[in-house]
Amino acid sequence: MEAKIEQYSSVSRLTNRIFITLIVITSTFGNLLLGVGMQRMPDFGAAPLSSYISVLFTNRYVLIGTALLIVWMIAQLWMLTWADLTYVLPVTASAYILTAILSKFFLGERISVARWAGIIIISFGVLLVSETPPDTKHQPERTS
Amino acid sequence: MKWLWLAISVLAGTFGDLMTARGMAEHREIEDFGARGLARILRHIGTHREVIAGMVFNSISFFSLMALLSVSEVSFAIPAGASSYVIKAALARWYLGEHLNAKRWLGAVCVAIGIALIAF
Repeated sequence: MEAKIEQYSSVSRLTNRIFITLIVITSTFGNLLLGVGMQRMPDFGAAPLSSYISVLFTNRYVLIGTALLIVWMIAQLWMLTWADLTYVLPVTASAYILTAILSKFFLGERISVARWAGIIIISFGVLLVSETPPDTKHQPERTS
Repeated sequence: MKWLWLAISVLAGTFGDLMTARGMAEHREIEDFGARGLARILRHIGTHREVIAGMVFNSISFFSLMALLSVSEVSFAIPAGASSYVIKAALARWYLGEHLNAKRWLGAVCVAIGIALIAF
């Protein structure tokens, strides 16, 4: 059996990592696909609402993006059953890094010096928080 | 007007996340990650008052962000909104009973600064 993360945590380290990966991937690709899909939509005011909605529901980018974001929301809520909010939010912020890098390679966007600095600083923050135990609500306070 | 939308977005998002986190933490049956476990989680999400209220606050935050983006630049809205990571960390101790050590605090600050820089 997979070793538990900490004595006071009830999920395995592997499960924790799987959920972090799932949240980061579904959030990144969900937002990217939704962005691409919305760019292919007609102007909101230009067409009647009924035809806009029918185009929206047949736009496969929007549909797949929305499905991924539903998976992201359920996975994030599920992870909050064993992990702290102040653990889940920073650790899954690595989605910002993945989005920036994918935007460069797939959408051809330029990454400025400030953006690279942001990627490095977020990575450092994610690394710091990932070294802390996911659940601190059921243990004595630690000082380090 | 942009400061009003920013305040609504940050406050609603903060309370939304705090409420959903506290509501979800009450679901302690987390051994089962199969179909039955998923069904239990979905039932918990759909029936727990605090989780539902949190999601309503998060929806308000989302639409306020959309309104903010319609009256301001992304380079203002996203960095300013990133401050919510630090506000959530500050309130998590009081509202959720989480014990934040130096690494957690520094991590939250780094993520907020990093998101602010990425928006430029």
